Amino acid sequence: MKSFVKHSIAFLGFSSLIYLILIFVWGSVMPVWLNNNLIYKQRGGHLHSRLAELNKHQNVDVLFLGSSHAYRGFDTRIFKESGIHSFNLGSSSQAPVQSLLLLKKHIDNLQPKKIIFEVCPQSLSSDGIESALDIISNGKIDFQSIKMAIDLNHIKVYNTLIYSSIRQLLNFDQDFVEEQHIGKDIYISGGYVQRDDVQFEYKSPLEKNINPEQMVAFKELVSWVKSKDIDLILVQAPVTTTEYHSYADNTGFDKLMQDYSSYYNFNTLITLDDSLHFYDPHHLNQLGVETFNNELIDLLID
Amino acid sequence: MLFNSLDFAFFLPLVFSLYWLFHKSIKIQNIILLIASYYFYSCWDWRFLSLIVISTIVDYSVGLSLSKEESQKKRKALLWLSIIVNLGFLGFFKYYNFFIEQFIQSFALFGVAIKGNSLNIILPVGISFYTFQTMSYTIDVYRKKIKATKDFIAFSSFVSFFPQLVAGPIERASNLLPQFSLKRRFNRAEGVAGMQQILWGLFKKVVIADNCAEIANLIFNNSTEYSGSVLVLGALFFTFQIYGDFSGYSDIAIGTARLFGFKLMKNFSFPYFSRDIAEFWRRWHISLSSWFRDYVYIPLGGSRVSKRKNIRNVFIVFIVSGFWHGANWTFIFWGALNAVFFVPLLLTDNNRNYLEIVAKGRLFPNIKELLSIGLTFLLTMIAWVFFRAETLGHAWSYLKGVCSSSLFIMPNFEGYIQSVICIILLVFLMVLEWFGREGDFAIDHITKSQSRLKRWLLYAFLIFLIGMYIPTNENAFIYFQF
Repeated sequence: MKSFVKHSIAFLGFSSLIYLILIFVWGSVMPVWLNNNLIYKQRGGHLHSRLAELNKHQNVDVLFLGSSHAYRGFDTRIFKESGIHSFNLGSSSQAPVQSLLLLKKHIDNLQPKKIIFEVCPQSLSSDGIESALDIISNGKIDFQSIKMAIDLNHIKVYNTLIYSSIRQLLNFDQDFVEEQHIGKDIYISGGYVQRDDVQFEYKSPLEKNINPEQMVAFKELVSWVKSKDIDLILVQAPVTTTEYHSYADNTGFDKLMQDYSSYYNFNTLITLDDSLHFYDPHHLNQLGVETFNNELIDLLID
Repeated sequence: MLFNSLDFAFFLPLVFSLYWLFHKSIKIQNIILLIASYYFYSCWDWRFLSLIVISTIVDYSVGLSLSKEESQKKRKALLWLSIIVNLGFLGFFKYYNFFIEQFIQSFALFGVAIKGNSLNIILPVGISFYTFQTMSYTIDVYRKKIKATKDFIAFSSFVSFFPQLVAGPIERASNLLPQFSLKRRFNRAEGVAGMQQILWGLFKKVVIADNCAEIANLIFNNSTEYSGSVLVLGALFFTFQIYGDFSGYSDIAIGTARLFGFKLMKNFSFPYFSRDIAEFWRRWHISLSSWFRDYVYIPLGGSRVSKRKNIRNVFIVFIVSGFWHGANWTFIFWGALNAVFFVPLLLTDNNRNYLEIVAKGRLFPNIKELLSIGLTFLLTMIAWVFFRAETLGHAWSYLKGVCSSSLFIMPNFEGYIQSVICIILLVFLMVLEWFGREGDFAIDHITKSQSRLKRWLLYAFLIFLIGMYIPTNENAFIYFQF
């Protein structure tokens, strides 16, 4: 029995080492479509560019957090025109767990006076995997990222964490510069991603049930921001009318958000045209962003 | 609790450590196994544990009474008591709604409307497996093939032994029960072989079966929307899904049992290398096929009757076997279709041509063998369409879709990339299976004469493939529903 246990432990060590090596080799050599459970820098969202220019934006008036609704919905140039220095720290499918992580990591540098946290049923119902993969493959791996991976306990997150850590250890991404134009998206300094596309692409709505872990992180974020004496505004960014009405309980969601901080639901505050202001059910085009942001600025100034 | 879950990864080492800590006492070891097995089962639904307990008490008591009873009439009555209780549970939980619906539909054919209440019955996991296992015990005691056990704990552990409780292999009491009374000593070689088999089973389940399942489900669930070539892919992926799923489960079960010093029967023996349907059925779900052979086919007269009766017996066995899988006409038809494939071999006395594995001692098969393997594979693939389809109509329309002119166009659908990945993985599987076909399981034979480094490299590579290709949704084993 002793010999069996000894050999099992030795094999565990051996296979772990081979696993690390193979993850690195596979991720580096194999085409992306063959890497089922390894997602490295494969998503849009420009988080890499955002994090790379973060040091240039200190003491901001407004910090935006949230999912693609945030980084595609809050144009920092429009806010600048009104004298508001802002930075957009949104990322792909960013859920409260990841918002909290990013906020804790970068608050000392950004020192925001106000935080606008984009909330929607999707982000509260999200498992956080997509967002974690985005952060792990674009940000620096540290204790917080490892803790997040363990909390999520998902094979894709572990594999990406291993791969990303090895690349960072070997300085493989030192000279990596993200393209500013990816597909139809243009990255704008300050964290916003612009898309002028006016052609509307329909996507069927998904079911949304609030994920308790995201709710815990959301509450923690709210109380943490308040403890730092920073103004927190919760914003639900506009989506198409059809998408918005597919949500199960909009009134309930609004009531829930109002319990935590100042809350504005722009799906009820402004009227937008689905085919004129959106390029898909979730995302505003540039025309829609301008309308939405100007309304938000008016509210902030008031 | 699934074998491919994190819970099981904690459960198994814990039970293993406790079990071998008490290696000096068989009684304590059996108690540990019994508690672990009941816990394992109750993770699905603790309420159905009562069915196992009732079956155990009934069969234990019937066994003891049979051993004391000399009167043939009373012995028969006791046997019937056991059969009625066991098949009663199975019939109620698995077949009640089916028979009610058939009854109503039959009367409706004659214009008589009958009101019937179908019940919202949950099928207890593994009921078909443990029912057949306990029944084999009472039948064998009745036939005086084995002696009834007086050790209730050993018998309870035999009925509920967690590695094979929910999806087999369906053990015979003559093989498994005595092992609960023998002193078990940990054997390192057996432990290592057990771990190998668990790893191989896991690979087949989570890499092969679960990935094939995603595409097979997509295609079967939307079969009217796809071309013939895509439907062929769907059938192909289901063919490997069911093999990877069930043989993978069996390997994990056998490997787990080996860790505890038990030897379970082989359940799969490279069935997709079979040269005819008869050989396929000697290599596929061996524990069920041999159960039906011993307890249905032979009592009906087997092959020692006229050809006509022999054919009837073959049909009965295959149809009952199909019905065992589920209360649906698709399973019955699947069984009958296999009988149709089998009968020509029986009529020409060619049903026992291939008792050895193909190309034994050779590296490659010859052309004739290759063609036979291909043809047999094609027949089983056609039969699997009935097994997988929701209804007979669905199966027919699926096959009709295959036999259309769109069979010859390049498959183009949303699962295309995933299909390419699956095909690469299937080639890897089949190469390993081919080179390992003379062993108990593929990697057992391949690694036998290799150095430790090479063996460990192969195992580590399999672990890597599991990590890279395990689908992110946890999938239950197909045979749990039977």
